[in-house]
Amino acid sequence: MDVQRLQESFARMTMHGDAVPLFFYADLFLRHPETRDLFPVSMAAQRDRLVHALGRIVSDAGHIDALGEYLKDLGREHRKFGAIAEYYPYVGASLVATLAHFNGPAWTPELAADWKAAYDRVAQVMIEAAAEDAGVRPAFWEATVIAHELRRFDIATFRVAITEPLHYLPGQSVSMESAERPRIWRFYSPANAPRDDLTMDFHVRMIDGGALSMVLTRGLAVGARLRIGSPVGMLTYEPGTGRDVLLVGGSTGLAPLKAIAEQICGLPDPPRVHLLFGARTADGLYDLTDLEKMAARHPWLTIVPVVSDEPGYPGERGMLHEALARGGNWREHDVYASGPTPMVEATVTQLMALGVPRSQIYLEDFGWSEP
Amino acid sequence: MTVSSRNGRLTPDQVQSVSFPPARFGRRGLDEETVFSFCDQVQHELVTLLNEKASLWEEVERLRRRIIDAGDPTGARPEDAHIQAVRILSNAQQMADKYVADAQEYSRQVTTDARRRRDEVLSEAKAHAERVLDEAHSRASRAADVVSFEPGSPASGEWRDRTAELAYLRTFSEVYRTHLRAYLETLLNNVEDWEQSEKESLAAARGELPFPFPPGAQGQSPPPAPGPTSYSSPPPGSSPYSTPPPGSSPYPTPPPPSPSSPPSYSSPPSYSSPPPSSSPYPTPPPPAPPSSSSSPPSYPSPSPARLP
Repeated sequence: MDVQRLQESFARMTMHGDAVPLFFYADLFLRHPETRDLFPVSMAAQRDRLVHALGRIVSDAGHIDALGEYLKDLGREHRKFGAIAEYYPYVGASLVATLAHFNGPAWTPELAADWKAAYDRVAQVMIEAAAEDAGVRPAFWEATVIAHELRRFDIATFRVAITEPLHYLPGQSVSMESAERPRIWRFYSPANAPRDDLTMDFHVRMIDGGALSMVLTRGLAVGARLRIGSPVGMLTYEPGTGRDVLLVGGSTGLAPLKAIAEQICGLPDPPRVHLLFGARTADGLYDLTDLEKMAARHPWLTIVPVVSDEPGYPGERGMLHEALARGGNWREHDVYASGPTPMVEATVTQLMALGVPRSQIYLEDFGWSEP
Repeated sequence: MTVSSRNGRLTPDQVQSVSFPPARFGRRGLDEETVFSFCDQVQHELVTLLNEKASLWEEVERLRRRIIDAGDPTGARPEDAHIQAVRILSNAQQMADKYVADAQEYSRQVTTDARRRRDEVLSEAKAHAERVLDEAHSRASRAADVVSFEPGSPASGEWRDRTAELAYLRTFSEVYRTHLRAYLETLLNNVEDWEQSEKESLAAARGELPFPFPPGAQGQSPPPAPGPTSYSSPPPGSSPYSTPPPGSSPYPTPPPPSPSSPPSYSSPPSYSSPPPSSSPYPTPPPPAPPSSSSSPPSYPSPSPARLP
């Protein structure tokens, strides 16, 4: 296989921009209409993802083994979309047809053979990982909403019941799809440690114009059906460091931290935990009542609400990173932070300025590929 | 509000130029029902488009098969027909994408705008409540001072304190009554305006009755229902929330007192409400602002001091 030739033909194709994925999907759907059901109504985001994923695979095509984990993840992730082994050759055929179309006279039978071989190896890794995964867990978990509460006009908390156990670590996220918006998956963190009764809590803040968040905040009622994907994420509690814990959560970034706090509740010898919960205004502290109940039961837990944009607020005021700077010495703490990206970045910068080693700061790594 | 064109279809131009009426009586922001009904329309349009796309798709397939089956008398190759079909489907998909993107962008704008207005309304309300409270307190304090230092009052400290307290409470509740009265009058004016506009539109509707119907024929043919239509368009400025007369309070609820602190005019910040028994207001005061939650005892720096 001539990797350089492969990459050159790919580059000749991608210079046609959005026309490439448009052609690819139209070709696929015309040849195999049943595959259309795997995708959302709007394909705009999907097209970018395809080109991005292909680009990553092709640039590393020289050492496909190094791509192993990425491809396996991709294969496992595609289970929830309904991608089955039977569809992989369809995709390969449409990919080759697209390459041929955009390469024009530069397309040769040798190139076609090389591409087919490369695709088959990629598909094999994905199919095998998916099959292995299917032996361990379902493609997705069917969930039913059993409680839904609008805490503010744009923030909701809700509880779902699932039928099969979903093993996740507190702090991780799961992807979620609503029957109201088929094929649109977004990640949310369960706000509780795993429970025996197979229920999970979620906190959702409405993003203006958000495809799924608007449904989850204002369009859900008890009985609504959701699908939940496999857990992912790095923001998980590290026990046994001997250090006390600082949790810093902005808005619904609280959810994974609440799950971690619940996990610590179950430890025989819990560390001291400070939870800084921040919002712009006091009504954004949507879960404060619950947190305070939790703190009342557990003397090692301290809740500090922080409000940034309400001058009359009687408690801690300012941004979260400002409040934690006033809060004292966190050098001997493990810090877990979650929330809007600017808040998390400011928190990390502040903590490091205060002498907290980076190795003691735990964050979500959003490096996973969005479905 | 219903947006419609001649063929009942929604166009991108309409999506771009649509406007919503303000919320009705007693609420701020955009009228929710209208926004949701518009979203329904957008959804309906999308479904129609998708169905059209599916049938076009079938048509393309049918034509493609026919060309292949017919052995292609025009000389075009089946491959060209496929490329043609790909092009048509790509265009249809792009159109669908654009509709979804437009609808999403529109809903983003509407919610962003509603959020901004909500924040404005809340901060206006807070500022207003603070002004009313400040006014009541300063007037009541002055009244109490006058009583305390009145020449000839008995020297007993306790008696003087009580009298001063009474004066404070009296003035405080008087200021409140004034605000409440002004507010209720505004409401009453609104009801009258509403009634008036209903009468006028009823009269206008009768005047427009077609000739064959004599005035006495109303029993058989009821006039156009005036209720909901006239309600939705009262004279401008008649909403109790949009233009209260200067100095009146558009907010019926008294400001939040802190019931835990006993009335004592010597400590102004906590002195916000007379004892419940003397309150002339139908609405009970809202609960005190968070106190225990705001400065947790074990937090290293409980001081609520503002940032430098």
